[in-house]
Amino acid sequence: MLSRVAERLYWCARYLERAENTARLVRTYLQLSLDLPAKAQPGWGLVTEVLGAEEGFSKRRRALNEKNVLPFVTLSTEHPVSIASTIGMARENLRTTREIVPSEAWERVNALHLYVRRRASSGTSGGRYRMLSEVVQRCQQITGLLSGTMNHGDGYQFLRIGRNLERADMTSRILDVGSAHVLGGKVEQAPYEYILWMSVLKSLSAYQMYRQHVRRRVRATQVLAFLLKAVEFPRSIAHTLEEVRASLMRLPNPAPALKAMADVESRLEQADTDELRGERLRQFIDELQQDLARIHTQCDRIWFHPNA
Amino acid sequence: MPVRERQVDFSEYAAADKYDELITPQGTARAGAGGIVSHLRRLTHKRLIARQQAADLAIQAMGITFTVYSEGENIDRAWPMDIIPRVISLREWRRLEEGLVQRLTALNLFINDLYNEQRILKDKVVPAELLHSSGNYLEACAGITPRHGVWAHICGSDLVRDGDGTVYVLEDNLRVPSGVSYMLENRAVTKRVFPQLFRKHSILPVDDYPGQLFDTLAELSPRPLDYPEIVVLTPGIHNSAYFEHAYLAQQMGAELVEGPDLVVGDDDCVYMRTIHGLERVDVIYRRVNDDFLDPEVFREDSLLGTPGLFRAWRKGNVGLANAPGAGVADDKIVYTFVPEVIRYYLDQDPIIPNVPSYLCTDPKQREYVLANLAKLVVKPANESGGYGMLVGPASTAAERKRFAALIKKRPRNYMAQPALNLSTAPTLCDGRIEPRHLDLRPFSLQAGSSKVSAGGLTRVAMRRGSLVVNSSQGGGSKDTWIVDTER
Repeated sequence: MLSRVAERLYWCARYLERAENTARLVRTYLQLSLDLPAKAQPGWGLVTEVLGAEEGFSKRRRALNEKNVLPFVTLSTEHPVSIASTIGMARENLRTTREIVPSEAWERVNALHLYVRRRASSGTSGGRYRMLSEVVQRCQQITGLLSGTMNHGDGYQFLRIGRNLERADMTSRILDVGSAHVLGGKVEQAPYEYILWMSVLKSLSAYQMYRQHVRRRVRATQVLAFLLKAVEFPRSIAHTLEEVRASLMRLPNPAPALKAMADVESRLEQADTDELRGERLRQFIDELQQDLARIHTQCDRIWFHPNA
Repeated sequence: MPVRERQVDFSEYAAADKYDELITPQGTARAGAGGIVSHLRRLTHKRLIARQQAADLAIQAMGITFTVYSEGENIDRAWPMDIIPRVISLREWRRLEEGLVQRLTALNLFINDLYNEQRILKDKVVPAELLHSSGNYLEACAGITPRHGVWAHICGSDLVRDGDGTVYVLEDNLRVPSGVSYMLENRAVTKRVFPQLFRKHSILPVDDYPGQLFDTLAELSPRPLDYPEIVVLTPGIHNSAYFEHAYLAQQMGAELVEGPDLVVGDDDCVYMRTIHGLERVDVIYRRVNDDFLDPEVFREDSLLGTPGLFRAWRKGNVGLANAPGAGVADDKIVYTFVPEVIRYYLDQDPIIPNVPSYLCTDPKQREYVLANLAKLVVKPANESGGYGMLVGPASTAAERKRFAALIKKRPRNYMAQPALNLSTAPTLCDGRIEPRHLDLRPFSLQAGSSKVSAGGLTRVAMRRGSLVVNSSQGGGSKDTWIVDTER
């Protein structure tokens, strides 16, 4: 497999996963805003923060409200974080590697791109919940199609690494920003802590699985433990790392990447979720994200740009 | 009754002064076209339009696109396809196929001769000046004989039919002919739209083309391997034919590479950069023009090519299709000599004739061209894609004046042909079936043996009366059916 192709597949999977996660996040947020009284709402700044787009948004000098933030992170293409931009980039990466993936998968990605573009040009804000669900569903369909129809050879491993690194990244971001808001939040939010934690879980489609796993009232430390360490939950950090490791092992010369894996795995293992609060949690997540970035750097050095 | 509700009928369709591919002047179906014509007659216009829309949607969903350059931008457009197929009877096709193989065989002997002994020049069958004035002759190739003596492995010849029914070769594309992926995709779409017709009639399949292309390329491998490493070299996503490059790589199971993915080693072999390190490449189906192939030999500023590629090819360490320099024979001036070339090397008469042509280098012929610009099509020797030509009957006096000046200044750059009364086929235009002019580009393959695609890409001028079929200039396309009427 060509290095260039490996890299594009990796990014295609990352962008698709990012689009899906962004859609989940925004969908949960829309729901949350229905549940909480206005003064207890965490504000739409949280969404731009999770997506790392505060700066991009603030350049536009518009109020941080639903009317402005929602289009910015969904259908507009003026900033690279939006669902539309992200899907566009997934499509572009696949378009230049479409000879590698089953043509049906390319057709689905292309159709998703056309769908989002059509929605954007129709200019209506109605049915946005349905639109977000549609994006989630279609991304899932593509992931399933690739898993079920593509050779699980080198190319597939790069897709899987991209998908899981991105998923780990998003889970850590949601934990980071979400917990900062919930734990250090406004006094008015205290009565709603339960709902807020539920939202964190829901934005990762983790609520139901959490209940099955924990069988207790939603509490901060347990949510953290679940999303960080529950290997059986596919969006937890522990699970995504297992997936990445399994793929790395199947690729040629993975040693430096596996070493980076070992670092993050031991950090996760040693973390005591009862102790992780406030500043310590933020610091832990910062370090975790740096670990994840190092895995990416290693992939880049071993496979994508070995001579650079 | 509004047109939409009316049944399709061809009673007022036929035009006496044109040759239509499907309908005779009497309004009946031509050989092989009976099935599609009677099927169309059973449809209302409304239902036909609905099928066209279904086809357009399928094309969009399958992501079949082509790129046009417009105002400095690349625009990715959905591929335009008219759902009414163009039909050729198997009997006629067999003769055309034979003619195409004959032509490509002679052209390859000609190219190899030009780069080696130059017998044809010494025997004065083709004037020697022609070679030296051709922009496509590559000095660097002199003395080389590629494997099988074949230079042009993939050839796209454009065939047209005149008003009297004669089929001519309009031009040969021996450099990097494109369009074959659209031939394959058009068929895929038509099968979705008219599945029942494929069951009822004996229509030759086209799907074996990628396999035949692979076999042809495999014959160029310098190493005797069962699975030589074949790659498709593309200039990249911004090339107008990128879709096709990706499509063919996918269909052949070959890697699609860009120049920087390849590297020539100290052993003068070609390698590609993979996740396993460097891997040897045996055959390159290159879709990059000669000029850009190797900055060591051709354009130094090329970022699309790979330094050392030419050296590796000359040493026989890698197969290149088409070979560099093969374009020497698709110059439009060389074209005028092809009938003599066929007679010279094969001692046969051409099976498919050339369109009569006037050379602007010959004073008498030039005089005729300048005096008859309004009746002629003037073509530059080295352009493709329909750029830079003058279609006399559709031109303005100012355009003719400009071309007259161009011809006088550089006669070697131009040739002229009578504006043919191109044949037509029924085409769905704004909800009605109307005749539109078309041509045909079959794809011929040659290495150790020769093959021709079953039919080819039919291109159609969508504007009434227009003769320009290039997709970059608003042309459309049709699926091409070779129908066996004897089964």
